[in-house]
Amino acid sequence: MSVVVVGAGIAGLTAAAELAGRGVDVQVLEARDRVGGRTRGIEIAPGGWADAGAAYLGERHTALLELMARHDLKTVPTVMEGDSRFDVRGAASAQSVPGRFPPLSGVALGELFDLLDEVTRSVRVDAPWLGPDAARLDSLTAAEWADTNLRHPDSRLFFPLFLGEMMAAAPADVSVLHMAFYLRSGGGLRYLNAFAGGAQEWRIDGGAHRLSEALAAGLGDRVRLSEPVTAVEQDDTGATVRSASGTTRADAVIIALPPVLADRIDFTPELPARRSGERTGPGCAVKVHLIHPSPLWREQGLSGWSVSADGPLLSTVDDSPADGSAGVLTGFVTGEEARRFAALSADEQRATAIAQAGRLFPDLPEPIGFHVTDWVNDPYSRGCYAALFGPGDWLALGPGLTRPHGRVHWAGTETSTEFFGLMEGAIRSGRRAAAEAAARP
Amino acid sequence: MSRDDMVEIFRRVLETDSVSVDSDFFASGGDSLLGTRVLSAVARAEGVELSFEDLIEAPTPAALADRVASVTR
Repeated sequence: MSVVVVGAGIAGLTAAAELAGRGVDVQVLEARDRVGGRTRGIEIAPGGWADAGAAYLGERHTALLELMARHDLKTVPTVMEGDSRFDVRGAASAQSVPGRFPPLSGVALGELFDLLDEVTRSVRVDAPWLGPDAARLDSLTAAEWADTNLRHPDSRLFFPLFLGEMMAAAPADVSVLHMAFYLRSGGGLRYLNAFAGGAQEWRIDGGAHRLSEALAAGLGDRVRLSEPVTAVEQDDTGATVRSASGTTRADAVIIALPPVLADRIDFTPELPARRSGERTGPGCAVKVHLIHPSPLWREQGLSGWSVSADGPLLSTVDDSPADGSAGVLTGFVTGEEARRFAALSADEQRATAIAQAGRLFPDLPEPIGFHVTDWVNDPYSRGCYAALFGPGDWLALGPGLTRPHGRVHWAGTETSTEFFGLMEGAIRSGRRAAAEAAARP
Repeated sequence: MSRDDMVEIFRRVLETDSVSVDSDFFASGGDSLLGTRVLSAVARAEGVELSFEDLIEAPTPAALADRVASVTR
């Protein structure tokens, strides 16, 4: 039995490692010159790493925790002690507030979360396209939903910030069904939003990319880098995968790519339906890292957490390495702001981000290091955290999400209805696809 | 709003029956997001707009019900 896995992100590498463990002859073809997909480490100080992509996990991410334990990777708690900084009242008037709650109407935000909770519970999480109200929720954008349902200016202000943080989407990008599904799939509003006791409880010590590197190390030369795949041809006896250096023959193929990239492969015979729709968009996240010699803000009684109504840095969080080798403030640029920021020159990006950080944290010196990671325009990810399903997408794409196409099986976090968009979803999808491929007659 | 009414709100928001009049919201699994849902429930029931600071200062059903009473009296 032989299998070609396309894509050496967490999903593809998980699938490949599972298959190799069962004695299957496996090859992984990766377009980039690195493994890890939407996880990537940047060395921000000698031996100190920051996550340029996916970073966080919590205790419900059982498959990830198990895989980490197997590869001797440790968790680091996210630190959130001290006051937050909020700039949500206009006129760049940042203020310090104890805890994580923004200086907005608690009742208005409560009403927003009540409404979100209600719609989130109404979706069928294992098959969102089949829920009782699926057709209606699939036809509306989250922006239209907000326009109809949110009355208070504070909830209207906060909703796009919340959606940006939760799923790297602008409200106009996603259907209500996708928003509700995503929040439910990730464990519900509270779990997905929380640091302590939630989906952001920990990071992976040394960086999330280490998981993929550990998986790839176990596979050795079965992982082939700089091999973008262009075509998959099936016949009666197997499949031929065309990539940069030539062709690879196998009994089965696992495509572990985001849906928009899967659609760029030429399949023979053709796919019965596309993997993405007209409205399927890239997750809109740009990550900015501001590097300091140490987490200086902690000495000022600040947690590093901030939320701003205006960009580019809609929120910041303390992502300093546990070993104290540096202070890292991660800025999240999401939704509309991500598109706008990504279109700026490197100099403009640096100037605007550092100016905003200076307003948010006026007692901090200029950072000693500055990094921008643009996932929106990354040709081999096409967005991060995950693909955004727009109006019509779930009803059209849902039924085929995991349905094999002959010898072709599907993996990737977008094929997991559990923890969709997260590292946990990627691992679960890789395991499922590996089991499917291994069970072929 | 009675203290028992407030216990019911806490139970519904925290999704647990193990809430008594003296249970601390934040020690019972509550966080800021869930806290806002207590505030919206109180607003619906009593027409009273409490702030998030009210919940921090009066984090038990007993104390929060007293605070509502002091506002509506």
